[in-house]
This record gives sequence, structure tokens and C-alpha cells, in this order.
Amino acid sequence: MAEVKLTQVNKRYGNIHAVHDVDLTVADEEFVVLVGPSGCGKSTTLRMVAGLEEISGGTIDIGGRVVNDLPPRDRDIAMVFQNYALYQHMTVYDNLAFGLRNRKVPEADIRKEIDRAASILGIQPLMARKPKQLSGGQQQRVALGRCIVRNPAVFLFDEPLSNLDAKLRAQMRIELKELRTRVATTSIYVTHDQVEAMTLGDRIVVMKDGLVQQIGTPLELYRTPANRFVGSFLGSPAMNFVDVTVVQKNGGLVLSDFGADIVLPDAMAAALAGHVGKNVVIGLRPEHILMGEGSSEGTIRLDGSIVLTEQLGAQQLVELRVGERTVMAAGVDPDLRLQGGDAGRFSIALDRVHVFAAGDSGPVLWSAGKGQVTAPLRHVS
Amino acid sequence: MSVATDTGYTPPKRGSFLDALAPGGKRAFFLLSVLGVLLIFAFPVFWLVLTSMRPAWGVYYVHRGLEFTLGNYLEVLEQEVVVHAFFNSFVIATLSTFFSLTVTVTSGYMLSRFTGKLANAWFGTIYIFRTIPYITWVLPLYFVTQWWGIFDTYLGLLLPHIAVHICFFSWLMKGFFDGIDPSMESAALIDGCTRWGAFLRVALPSALPGIAALSILCWLWTWNEFLFALILTSHNTPMITVVMAQFVSELGTEWNLMSATAVMAMVPALIVAIFGQKYVVRGLKV
Ligand SMILES: Nc1ncnc2c1ncn2[C@@H]1O[C@H](COP(=O)(O)OP(=O)(O)OP(=O)(O)O)[C@@H](O)[C@H]1O
Ligand SMILES: [Mg+2]
Repeated sequence: MAEVKLTQVNKRYGNIHAVHDVDLTVADEEFVVLVGPSGCGKSTTLRMVAGLEEISGGTIDIGGRVVNDLPPRDRDIAMVFQNYALYQHMTVYDNLAFGLRNRKVPEADIRKEIDRAASILGIQPLMARKPKQLSGGQQQRVALGRCIVRNPAVFLFDEPLSNLDAKLRAQMRIELKELRTRVATTSIYVTHDQVEAMTLGDRIVVMKDGLVQQIGTPLELYRTPANRFVGSFLGSPAMNFVDVTVVQKNGGLVLSDFGADIVLPDAMAAALAGHVGKNVVIGLRPEHILMGEGSSEGTIRLDGSIVLTEQLGAQQLVELRVGERTVMAAGVDPDLRLQGGDAGRFSIALDRVHVFAAGDSGPVLWSAGKGQVTAPLRHVS
Repeated sequence: MSVATDTGYTPPKRGSFLDALAPGGKRAFFLLSVLGVLLIFAFPVFWLVLTSMRPAWGVYYVHRGLEFTLGNYLEVLEQEVVVHAFFNSFVIATLSTFFSLTVTVTSGYMLSRFTGKLANAWFGTIYIFRTIPYITWVLPLYFVTQWWGIFDTYLGLLLPHIAVHICFFSWLMKGFFDGIDPSMESAALIDGCTRWGAFLRVALPSALPGIAALSILCWLWTWNEFLFALILTSHNTPMITVVMAQFVSELGTEWNLMSATAVMAMVPALIVAIFGQKYVVRGLKV
């Protein structure tokens, strides 16, 4: 039971600045997910918390104790690795007992702990086997068991599900969720899979190039991404981005060149007043692009043609061409008969639209329903 | 990344010249090559065994006459120097295997897991020594052993062997450790081990097949080694490979005795090789 606090944490490998001024507080029993593309410094951050990498700058505090100079064994943590990292030459039982034996726990207590963990994870029949004789899912459960028996202050996970096939991954994700209700421990979970991040995390930390992009609950990040990168990273199918220009017209502001001019309501115009003549990017979630007229108030209407459709059973995905741009719409009624080449009219509620400054990590200028976002955001140059 | 596998693209199969042969022809080709290789390697051994059982007058006509004898073996074993040499070779091979493996395992581990000044310096050192041809070591070593007063002693032969082994086998050992997942050691560190503990209790046991294979190769290498044995020893510590060569004298070569010694020298090597084959194959696969 402990709070984990990272203050201005940095990691440099020679010239590579792998982790850049990370500030993060994980509350007691909170489950925080670090997510981001490959090479963004998630593992490095986690390994610094574990004590497996030295910290180049800043402090890490676990349960009120600065651990910068403590070796991993004194930090009261447990970690699950991507490739399970089970001790190949030991049986499952010995794998689970290893950490406890190192702490000189009496053998009878070890047995009790292992029985408890094994019944939670359903691995009792595997105790005498060697790791090579287990399937990927079983190995992952044993790796989880090795953490549970230790009763650590903090669980650390480094992409624990990424070596499993899609179906097993979905199943283990649910098991992890259930596990949380039984074993409530402060956890930091690294993944590059946005579905895992959305479903598992109490809060999500999105990282890119060693920098924290945004921290928040899954819905906060989904609804009000702080920049274009966060918007693009979370959500599937991914957010559509359309480059447009802010233009002064008839005494108001319009976004030009995505179908007809999009006339901006006052609040939005105020938020974008400083960008007249500049390029900005509209972010549209596919599920917010609706077929048909939509309600009359505050709606963008677009006339375009259908490029192709993808029938998923529960919904259809429709790729639309508007002028020279294509966007993806989701959540279309699966019974609707649509064909490539059909013309169609689509609508987007203006209060669902995000507007970002130009660039891959352009900060948000206007976000759905929230008005102007003022939080200062650092983005990568 | 399952997407990439669904592209339906299969790379064109590269044709080998064997595909041009009919299935039967392929098999015959295979058998012939195996036979050819066997002949090249096995025939000399066969001839050697034959020679070792022929009386002295029959060695040049091994293929003629049917008179066979074990007398050569008895005659060789009556020579004290031969028995002594067998013993010495065994001791040197075993001791040098033990000591060089102890160093090689730690040095291979270091090369595999650590970067930094010390590791780089060590890497550079053994790299340089490795590139020096084996034979150029001998003369300097001769002078050094003379100078240290360990010429023609166990120590005088052990130390050079160990030095060579370290340079040659650290690389193989590094390869074994490269094949072992380092996150296993990270897990051990978190589970309460020190860095040494993680090495000794987790990395080392996983490398055991490789270490076993290397011990066998190392033992055989030393047992069969000739050059160091020839230059760095004299009458006090005769080695079997050298003694064998001494059947060549001004009066001619006693092929039958030499062959008998050679056959006997092959036996321990054969036993080690047969017993260890399983480990060598498994270990080198790691
Ligand atoms: N030992 C090292 N030496 C030098 N650079 C390193 C080292 N380890 C990591 N890096 C660099 O640090 C950056 C962050 O690496 P890290 O492993 O934390 O990425 P990650 O977010 O976990 O990515 P992935 O999803 O691929 O695991 C990368 O650019 C990587 O090249
Ligand atoms: Mg990683």
C-alpha cells in the first residue's frame, strides 16, 4: 500500500534523452497506465521506478521514501515482464517461492501464500511444471502469481499481454480487471495498446518522445485530448484529421475548404480569433460523423460520396470523400445499404469537433463541449 | 502485427540445384555425399586401428597378410613415459578446463551484459589476443616460462592454455548469455537477489547446457593440443601428443607403436565426445 511519486524524472543515455521531466503521482491503490508509441520511454520510466535503470535526474518516491539510490530488492515492488521472465530452470512452485525464500519467509507460510495466489489465478495444477511446459497464457498467470505472493507495495507491468494472441489478450485483460478487485495494489502498467489503456486504467498517461503529453481518466483523454497526438492515439477507428484554414468572412470566422465553409459559432470563433489566416486541424471522431441531416442547430453538413464501406455486423464503417479529403465514419446502421460511389449527406455536431494547431502534436485550440483549453502544454519541437 | 501475415504474399521459393534432380536422384546424391564424407573422415581412423594391430614388419603392407597382434599395445604401455604422458595430458586437460571455464563464464557474462570502460577494455584485450595467430604465442611463452622458472611444469603449461582458452571461449560464452533473457535477472533483482545473486542463481543455471558443451570442447582441445605441449614441455612433463610424435627417430618411424598410442589417445577423447555429444548439440543450439 503506497503512493508513488515521480518528480521531474529524467533519463539520458548519452545523447538520447529518453525520458524528459516526468511528473506523476500515482495514488494508493490506483491503477495508472503509461501508453505511447514504441520508443517513447514508457519502459524506461517503469524501469526507473523498479530500480533497474539509474535515474539521471529528479526523484522517485515510493510510500513516502525516496528510492533513487535503493536497489530493486529494497523497493518493495514486484514486476511482470513482457516475456514473462520466469526462471527457466525452476518449477512453477519454485518460481513463486523464490522471492519469499530470499526474504527468509518460513516454508509453511510460503506454501500458504502460494496456495492463495494459485487459487486466485487457477494455476494449482501447474505447480510441478517447468516454464517451458506452459502455454503463453499460463506463463503469464505464473508471472502474475510471482508478484501476488510477494504482497508488494507496488505492481509494475511492462506490456504483460503483448506476447499473447488477440483472443487470449482480451481474456487476460478481463482477468487482470477482476484481479484488481481482489488484490488492490498501487499499479503502473505500460502498454502501447490503447484498448488496454482505456479499459484498465483509472488514469492514463500518454507519452511521446520521452515527454508526457497528457494525464487523465480514460474519458477525459478521449473527450478532451490536449493535443493532436493524444487525439490520434486513443480511439478506434482513429480520429479523422482535416487540415483547414481559418478565414475571416462576412464579419465572422469560417473554416474553409472542407466541403462548404464551416461557419463558426461565437464561442469557437473567439477561441480561434488568434489564428485567422493560419492553418489549423479539425479532429473528428468517426462515431460523431452521422449519416443524414442531423439536428439543425450547430451542425456541420457535408455533401460527399461514399468511397467504400466495411461491414462489421454491429455497425458499418464508411469511408467518405468530401472534396479532396477522405474521412472515416463509424457507427453507421449495419442495415443501411450503401455502395461505393453513392452520394450522401453527412452531419457533424459542432460541439463534438476538436480543433488543433497545425503539426503532429499541435495543442488543442478548441475542444468538444469544453471551450478553450488553457492548460499550458509542452509539445515536441 | 497480425495484419502483415494476412497479405497473402508468399515469397517466391528459391530454387536449389537439387530441385533439378528427380526425388530418387536427390536421395542417391545425399547418400553419396554422406559416404564420401565418411570415407574421408573414417578411413584414416580405420587404417590407423589396422596399423596398430600389425607386427612391425607388416606396417607397410597393412592390407596384406592376416597376422594381427595386441603386442604393440603392451609394448607401448610398458614404456613409462607413455603412461606418464597419458596421466599428464589428463591432468592438464582437466585442470585447464576447470580454471578456464571459471574465468570464461564470468568474462563471457560481463561481455554480454555490461558496457562501460572496464568491459570495453576487457573486450579490446581479448579481441586483440584473439586476432594474433596461435603459433606466434608460442615463442614468447617459451621465454616467459623459462624466465619464471616454470618451464616444463604443470603450471608452465596450464597458464598458457588458460590464457588461450579465455580469449577464444569468452566469445562463445558471451553468445550463450546473449541467448538468455536478461529480464530473468531483472526479475531476480526485484525478487531479492543482489547482482551476483542474479548471476549465480538465475543466469548461470540457465547457461548450464552451454557451459557443459564448452567444457567438453575445451577438454578435447587441450587433450589434442600439440604445439604448446611440444615447445613448453620436456622430459619432466611429457604430454601424450608429443610422446606419440617421438616414435619418429633417426632409425625410422615405428608406425605400429605410434598407431597403438594414437588409438589409445583417441579413446578418452572418444568417450568424452560420445558422452558429451548430447550436451554439445544442445548447448551450441542455445
Ligand atoms: N540501454 C539503452 N541505451 C541507449 N538507449 C536506450 C537504452 N534503452 C532504451 N533506450 C532508448 O530510450 C528510448 C525509450 O526506450 P523505451 O524502451 O523506454 O521505449 P518504450 O516506450 O518502452 O518502447 P516499446 O514500446 O518499444 O517498448 C528509445 O529511444 C530507446 O532507443
Ligand atoms: Mg518497452
